[in-house]
Amino acid sequence: MATAEQQADILERLKNGVIEYDEESVVKASHEALETGMDAYQAVMDGLAAGMDVVGVYFANGEYFVPEVLMCADALYAGLHLLRPHIKMDPEKMIKGSVVIGTVEGDIHDIGKNLVKMMFEVAGFTVHDLGRDVPLDNFVEKYMETDSDIICMSAMMTTTMIGMPVVIEKVRARNPRARIMIGGAPINEDIAQKWGADGTGKDAPNALQEALNMIGVLRDLGDQFKAERVQKEWGADGLLDATKA
Amino acid sequence: MFIQSKDAVLKVLRGEKPDHVPNFSGMGSITLSGIQQLGYRFNEIHGDARKMADAAASTHRLFGFESAVVPFDMGVVAESLGAGMKYYEKADQGQIIYLTMTRKLVDRSTVTMPEGLSEADAKTFVMKEIESQITNYQLQKPADVAQAGRIPIVLEALRLLKRELVEAVAIGSWTLGPFTELGQIMDLEVLLKLSAKKPDVVNRHLQFMVEYLTEVINLYIEAGADFITVREMGATASILSPRMFKSLVLPNLQALFGRIKRVPTVLHICGDTNPIIELMAQSGANALSIDQMNRLNESRAKLSNVILLGNYKPFGAPFCEGRPEEVEEMIRQSIEQGADGVWPGCDIWPVVPPENMQAMMAAMRKYGVKSG
Repeated sequence: MATAEQQADILERLKNGVIEYDEESVVKASHEALETGMDAYQAVMDGLAAGMDVVGVYFANGEYFVPEVLMCADALYAGLHLLRPHIKMDPEKMIKGSVVIGTVEGDIHDIGKNLVKMMFEVAGFTVHDLGRDVPLDNFVEKYMETDSDIICMSAMMTTTMIGMPVVIEKVRARNPRARIMIGGAPINEDIAQKWGADGTGKDAPNALQEALNMIGVLRDLGDQFKAERVQKEWGADGLLDATKA
Repeated sequence: MFIQSKDAVLKVLRGEKPDHVPNFSGMGSITLSGIQQLGYRFNEIHGDARKMADAAASTHRLFGFESAVVPFDMGVVAESLGAGMKYYEKADQGQIIYLTMTRKLVDRSTVTMPEGLSEADAKTFVMKEIESQITNYQLQKPADVAQAGRIPIVLEALRLLKRELVEAVAIGSWTLGPFTELGQIMDLEVLLKLSAKKPDVVNRHLQFMVEYLTEVINLYIEAGADFITVREMGATASILSPRMFKSLVLPNLQALFGRIKRVPTVLHICGDTNPIIELMAQSGANALSIDQMNRLNESRAKLSNVILLGNYKPFGAPFCEGRPEEVEEMIRQSIEQGADGVWPGCDIWPVVPPENMQAMMAAMRKYGVKSG
């Protein structure tokens, strides 16, 4: 086992490796995390994801732009692919949610969508990625077929976002409680509210900022999910109900 | 309706004093009401010169809009270089869905994947392969540019507009800028990363784009375009750093505008343009077009002698979803903050209600007529 100092050092290098888009350094630190028996989930959340949080701040402040963020995401992915297979399925820590995600019909811009997808993966969601230029009905079909918790639509252009309310209406007709998130350059909170979506990034200057902002939204969502599941499996009083376990 | 529409538009673009602040655009400005009145479906106006010209002219004919602009979609040049397009021919009547690229010259579809790779290894492999393909790619002009893809359709639509609108209204045409156009034909994610990692590789392709766009634009001018807009929105400060804009994008814009000599030009960039507006003013374009994210009054203060066109939001509320009074107020603000022309920040969203188009034109007559 690694000492506390070694662990802190590894987490720091994972975090900085993402921030400085240094893939090599992230890969090295990830291997060390595994070799020293560190908790892989902690390495992902407190190392890689913590780094991406800082990247989000840099982006919002105009220190980083899209090329830099993409290189940071590559570094994060390099670490995630090594660490993820070693995450123990501890129900206390994992989110069991699943999400359907895609870029709406007519739009092939998927950089923001891919970043949101990555964030869902980091948080432990099962992601059904429909890709880009997705016919509107496919969102609804996949959502029903997979019984997902969340449906996530992205549009980069004002000319394509018009498809979103159509999907929202169809999904709501089948499941009024569906969680729907929309994002993309032209989307703001007013539009999300008007169309009946549950969430989007706040005051986002563009699609990528929204994706980065969603890290926070996802963490909240994760807590909510855990709370709901704990209640379902353990009962409201926090005691294990043997009939459900 | 102003009789001197075309005159006002061209005067503004040349930096002369017109009799009013013209209300026009150099980008897509078609309305669903106009298209439906013609009996056309949205998806058939992009591949037929007659319908393209009719649709472009309808905004002027119905509302007195002071320009007629073709084409409407962002795929014309990419398609002429060999990118695959999807026309959405089966789209519902009245459904607004613009043409999209289905296949770029270099993207995931041009990578042959070895078997048996894990998902993680596959993604890394694809990205490395695309990077190497872009690095080695030699872009080629089509043998006959005037006959490539839908360029002949745009040229014919321009000729029809020239003949039929005579001197009533300024005819505009546009292309994307070199950087944005490159993103239409090569994988955008890798291209953006290469812009940071290997700018020389990207610059080599941008120089090709400058040459090619010059040819296309000169054909548009010969066919009848009175002014040309170059849309370089891929290089907005929402995406690229001002530093990268200056070193990689601006020199190629300067080269392009330096080659367009016969008609006035407009450089359009949307998203955050506040940090780069002064660099944009060095591009050599006659006028700058910005969207609602630009703080127009600050830009006006920085650039007292530059023609600024903008910057109302041509989608959502209030333009497409608000009341006519709100539209009027939006236009009043643009003029008050110093816009030389009332001009949208992007393509007009075709679903705009006719009464809001009318309110916009009325606002220009109310606030945009120079007294004395």
